[in-house]
Amino acid sequence: MTVIKKTELELDHRFDPASCRHSLNGFTSVLHCHHYSALYTQLADDCGMLDGRKLLSECAEDSFFEVLSAYFKAKGMECIEDRIAIAEQYYAAVGLGGMKVVCAGLDSGKVELSHSHVDEGWMKKWGKRDKPVNFITQGYVAALFSAVFGRPPRTYRVDETEGIVTGAEKSTFTVVVR
Amino acid sequence: MAIDRKRIIEAMSQIEIVGNEDGLIPAFGVFVQQLPASFWNGFAERLTSRVDADTLEAAEWLLVNAAHECGYHTGYGIITSEEWKAVVEPMIENAPEDVLHGAFAIFTAWGWAKAEIVELVPGEKMVVRAYDYYESDVVKYGRSNKHSAYMIRGVSAAFMDLAYGGEYDSTGETGLRTFKCDQVKGIECGDDYGEFVVVKAEE
Repeated sequence: MTVIKKTELELDHRFDPASCRHSLNGFTSVLHCHHYSALYTQLADDCGMLDGRKLLSECAEDSFFEVLSAYFKAKGMECIEDRIAIAEQYYAAVGLGGMKVVCAGLDSGKVELSHSHVDEGWMKKWGKRDKPVNFITQGYVAALFSAVFGRPPRTYRVDETEGIVTGAEKSTFTVVVR
Repeated sequence: MAIDRKRIIEAMSQIEIVGNEDGLIPAFGVFVQQLPASFWNGFAERLTSRVDADTLEAAEWLLVNAAHECGYHTGYGIITSEEWKAVVEPMIENAPEDVLHGAFAIFTAWGWAKAEIVELVPGEKMVVRAYDYYESDVVKYGRSNKHSAYMIRGVSAAFMDLAYGGEYDSTGETGLRTFKCDQVKGIECGDDYGEFVVVKAEE
């Protein structure tokens, strides 16, 4: 019988008593609540003159690209399946939600969320809305594809085509190379 | 003061928080996430550095407000939590002042900032010093002329709301924004520490 061993994320959580900072896998990390993420998201959504949605998404892409790339490098992880499994597990471990990469290639892909901190936090604070709002995960997905395939940030364009915040059962993100 | 800050930091900094089977972290009456500080800093700094001078104040207010609401609701969740009851509540002799000192010990333990109250005029004014905070990481060399600790400003004002702003209101319609906070010193600006002054908001 074939035994499939699932790659498991290793989280190295440390607290430095001198600086009183927490780190996850070497990156300073900080706890915040859904009010904070919802208000940052609302600010990005309202900030049309600077394309705030893109700004928030790109900040997420840059941060998570560093985190995921550093992990793959530190573990010598080359296999695409392993990299994707780690990225899905990291997303859940930090409380962003339940992510499933449906398919991924060098040029395109599709990602779904069964649960979403941003969407469910938004609804808890303000209720549903008619358009998707998960700009943070747009950036996360772009970072995931770039890190998994060893490409630089801004390689992929990510669109959220369905959002839990609109009443959909799941959020869906489509990915295409720019 | 009965609050043993060192003991609170030692106990509360060890709490392990990780997503449940849905990838969510429901805690203290809110959903929590633990993201890289560079993400939050990145958005705040890119936003405030790109807006023109006329819009800067409004952008900063919105960043502070995000933390103000976060600090108010999550802060209430913290001071009514089982963890608080177990660790901090037995030390409280003089409320709400001891509650405030305890809240800043937790603020420190959870990595928001290594911060403490250095002056407190009950119901009127609070001065907070932060000796290390992630928001100062926006400057790696030299000094900025712009204070960047929007999160500390918002949460500090929120803690004064909880202490002296009347009964907690989950809608945020009353009780929230009865205090405001200004940053007067910053590590990112070349000072040895960040300093934050909280006073009553204008009527």
